[in-house]
Amino acid sequence: MLFKESLISAISSIRSNSVRSFLTSLAIIIGTAAVIAVIGIGSSAEKALEASIDDLGGRTLYVAPGQNRRGAVTKGIIPLDIKDAEALANYKEHDWEISPTITRNRQVKYGNANINQRIGAYLPIHFGVRGYELESGRLFDEDDNLGRKRVVVLGSKIPSELKTIAGNLLNKEILIAGTSYKVIGILKEEGSTGWQNPDEELYIPLLTGAQRVFGTPNVDSINVGISNDQNVDEIMMSIEQILRAKHDIGPGQDNDFRISDYSQFADLRRQATGIFTLLIAAIAGISLVVGGIGVMNIMLVSVTERTREIGLRKALGATHSAIMLQFVVEAILLCIIGGLIGLFIGTGILWICATLFDWPFALPIGAMVGSITFSAMVGLFFGIWPAKKAAKLDPATSLRYE
Amino acid sequence: MIIKTTELKRSFEVGSETVEAIKGINLEVQAGEFLAITGPSGSGKTTLMNIIGCLDTPTSGEYFLNNKLVNELNENELAGIRNKEIGFVFQSFHLLAKNSALDNVLLPMKYAGTNIDEATIRAKHVLDQVGLSDRMNHGPTELSGGQQQRVAIARAMVNKPSILFADEPTGNLDSKTEGEVMGLFKELNEDGQTIIVITHEENIANQSKRIINIKDGLIESDTRI
Ligand SMILES: Nc1ncnc2c1ncn2[C@@H]1O[C@H](COP(=O)(O)OP(=O)(O)OP(=O)(O)O)[C@@H](O)[C@H]1O
Ligand SMILES: [Mg+2]
Repeated sequence: MLFKESLISAISSIRSNSVRSFLTSLAIIIGTAAVIAVIGIGSSAEKALEASIDDLGGRTLYVAPGQNRRGAVTKGIIPLDIKDAEALANYKEHDWEISPTITRNRQVKYGNANINQRIGAYLPIHFGVRGYELESGRLFDEDDNLGRKRVVVLGSKIPSELKTIAGNLLNKEILIAGTSYKVIGILKEEGSTGWQNPDEELYIPLLTGAQRVFGTPNVDSINVGISNDQNVDEIMMSIEQILRAKHDIGPGQDNDFRISDYSQFADLRRQATGIFTLLIAAIAGISLVVGGIGVMNIMLVSVTERTREIGLRKALGATHSAIMLQFVVEAILLCIIGGLIGLFIGTGILWICATLFDWPFALPIGAMVGSITFSAMVGLFFGIWPAKKAAKLDPATSLRYE
Repeated sequence: MIIKTTELKRSFEVGSETVEAIKGINLEVQAGEFLAITGPSGSGKTTLMNIIGCLDTPTSGEYFLNNKLVNELNENELAGIRNKEIGFVFQSFHLLAKNSALDNVLLPMKYAGTNIDEATIRAKHVLDQVGLSDRMNHGPTELSGGQQQRVAIARAMVNKPSILFADEPTGNLDSKTEGEVMGLFKELNEDGQTIIVITHEENIANQSKRIINIKDGLIESDTRI
């Protein structure tokens, strides 16, 4: 009953000073909104990132042509070619999937549509490595590749780019760089991974691409897919040995290729987001504490203003703890109300960002519960001193107070 | 005997000076008395009431309330006594401005920990006794001075205190409502309530049964009517 009385008294006190209460809890509002928004955005972004990494399935190392910059003479870029990829594929010590790629933009025609589109030449295993799935038709296989067949698999957005629908294109011929190719399959929508959009690409067998479309055995890169339990350093060393031997690089000479680790980038990005989130959350936490000082200040004013009321309550039998309770409850309530307003604003900001950047939206329940609890604790911590001051007031003197 | 004080003294430090507000009061009050304390301004009336009302503690001297030595009680015990044994009525009413008459009367019972249903019944009963059964849900701003003071009296009475203190209860009232309030006190006293009224005014004092005149912190006269 006493707690209820404290709560009622707190609500009526906050309501009768609503503007002052709002201004007091502004820092709490901003702090909570920032915590919710930043932590929510951080975890949504990380989820989006993780989803795109999961799509890669395991780990992918990326080998690209390029020389070490320390080399004294620049000989231009020494290419990687299909033979290099074969050498890697023939090495059976490691269980890895070698997937070389050549991609270029070429004219694509169907009916009246004529577009300049990204053409990718891959081995059949590429679809499995990337986890791409068929919507209709079939994927190309090793026979198509070795036979340099004129077949193409389309990304999900290509039919609409060609101003038609998937059903109309399957098993039809389209022109790629002036030559006719049969559409044998259409992929499901995969979604952009950030650096490329698989839905807007045309997929042809590697050897078909090398010989018929691009006229070069040189590949842009070789993806090496490994499972997560393999030792990345060991794999990198093997790749290096094989390619150095293949390229006749003597001891002491620099590599003419680069090996990078996609998931390394992801780790770095994740770390950076984590640090950023922590930093903003810390700043927001400081804002909550500053808000707490504001609350303490206003509570001290409130205690002074209500000296006579405190004297009266004591005359009517309020104990030290009853008066403490009344003012602590008021301070906590002030902070919690601020926290709740901030929570709504923060969630709103998070929702807008998630919608805008197409991230998965999830309520950061932990941050919500955490920041409201923290606000309440700020109220408790900064409310105690003013409440103690109120409780210690001498009843006789307080009643005389004008 | 409800009240017994021996050589009660209270002094205040004001800057470097010591002001002796009361200088050795010996007072005995029996249950059922209707007492008026009179005296000029600054003579120590309110200081005396604060001490026997357990709002303040004496600098020296002993005070027994219901044969219990109050000097030895701690903060919480004093709060308990103020809650259950003593009812206060003040010159400026001291109602909580944002609360209804009913809520104001409920307050002492909330501090007593009384069950809310029982408390509501009792509050309505005392408000009825002071003639405000039709104003229970009105706030102080919607009540006249006399009505506010009657709410204050209801609040002071609701925990059935041993003593009812009233410090200049009619100081802010016109003579008609003054009569109403004094009539209420007389009724309560006839029902056995011990009442101590502090007043400047002779005609108020004359409505009591015993007048104690204080001057310069000492009892000058003690007259039974
Ligand atoms: N808290 C205090 N601090 C300092 N001096 C005080 C305090 N309370 C009372 N006094 C002094 O004690 C003396 C007695 O004051 P008190 O209020 O008891 O007088 P009173 O008889 O009630 O006067 P009035 O009729 O004006 O209410 C006065 O001189 C007053 O200034
Ligand atoms: Mg006085």
